[in-house]
Amino acid sequence: MRVTALLLVALATRAAAQQQTDPRIARLDTAARAPIAALLDSARAAGLPPEPLIQRALEGTTKGAPPDRVVAAVRRLADDLGRARDALGASTEALELEAGAAALRAGAAPAVLAQLRRARRQPLMVPLAVLADLVASGVPVDSAAAAVLVLAGSAHDADLVEFRRAVERDIALGASPATAATGAARESILDVNSSARTGSARPRRP
Amino acid sequence: MFERIVAHLRAPVHIDPAFGERVMAEIATLPTPTRARPAAAWRRLAPLAALAVAASVLLLIARPASSTRKLQFVLVAPQAATVSLVGDFNDWDAARTPMRPLRADGAVWSAVVPLAPGRYHYAFLVNGSRWLPDPAAPRASDDGFGTPSSVVTVSGT
Repeated sequence: MRVTALLLVALATRAAAQQQTDPRIARLDTAARAPIAALLDSARAAGLPPEPLIQRALEGTTKGAPPDRVVAAVRRLADDLGRARDALGASTEALELEAGAAALRAGAAPAVLAQLRRARRQPLMVPLAVLADLVASGVPVDSAAAAVLVLAGSAHDADLVEFRRAVERDIALGASPATAATGAARESILDVNSSARTGSARPRRP
Repeated sequence: MFERIVAHLRAPVHIDPAFGERVMAEIATLPTPTRARPAAAWRRLAPLAALAVAASVLLLIARPASSTRKLQFVLVAPQAATVSLVGDFNDWDAARTPMRPLRADGAVWSAVVPLAPGRYHYAFLVNGSRWLPDPAAPRASDDGFGTPSSVVTVSGT
C-alpha cells in the first residue's frame, strides 16, 4: 500500500515535471527559452491555457522573429488571455479564452465580452472569433461588436460564420466595411428570425 | 420505308419484369457517394511580388462522426517549387505538412488537415523561405513577427 502511494507520488511528480518542461521550448531561440518558460509557468499557475502561448512562441521562432519580439508577443497574449477571463468569467473554457483574447487584441472592450456572455447560452468561441475577424477585415470595432451582440442571442454558430462571410463578400465587392457589416447583420437577423418562425433556413445569397 | 420505321418504333418493347429489381440491386451494391460542400468561388487576387499570383480556398471537405473536421487548404502559386502549410495545428513545423500539387502544371497546391474545434493561426511557406498569409481567410492580429498569418476557426457545433 505504501509502495503504491510512493509510486503514485513519483508518477505525479514526473508528470508535473514534464508539463513544466515542454519539449517544444527547445525549438526556441536560447535567449527566449527562459522568459517563455516563465510565462508558461505563470499561465499554468493562473489557470490560463499555455498552449496558445507556446504556439505564438513557435510561430515567431519559425518565422525568424527576434527573441525579444517573440517574448513580447507571448507576454501580450498572456495578458489578453487574463483580461478575457476577467471579462468572461473564471469558468470560461480555453477555446473561448483564446477567441476572447483575439477579440480584445482586435480592440473590443472587455464590456463587450461580458455582454456576450450574458446574451448567449451557447459557447462563445465562434462569436468572439467572428468579432475579431470582422475587425481584422476593416469593420470598425463598435460596428462589429454591435452586430455580433445583436446576433449572438439567437444565431447559431453557422449563422455567425455565414454573417462574417457575407461581410467579407460585400467588402470585396466594394462596400465599406461598416456598411457591409450593417447590411449583412440585417440579413442575418432576418434569416435567424425566419428560421425561428418556420423551422427552416431562408435561402441565402450565392 | 418511313412507315416501316414508324411501325417498328410503335411496336411495344418487351422488358423483363425483373429488370428494375436487378438495376436497384446493382445500385444498392455501389458505395454511397461522399457529399462535399461546393468550393468557394475563386477570387481574383493581386500579384504577390515576383513569386506568384496566390489565392487560396479553405474548403470543408468532410465531417467525421467526431468533432474533428477535415479542412482542405488550397494555394495557387504557379511558380512555387515547394509549399508547406504551417500553423498552430502542426507546432509551426514546416516539415510536417507539405502541400501537394493538385494539377500537373503545379499551379494549385493542396493539403488536408484534420482539425479539432478551435481557432488556429497558420500561413503558407513557399520555397522554404517566403511566408504568405491565406488571401481568402481572415488575418491574425499582428504579432510583429514580420509576416502576417491567417486564422481559421473550427466550430464545435
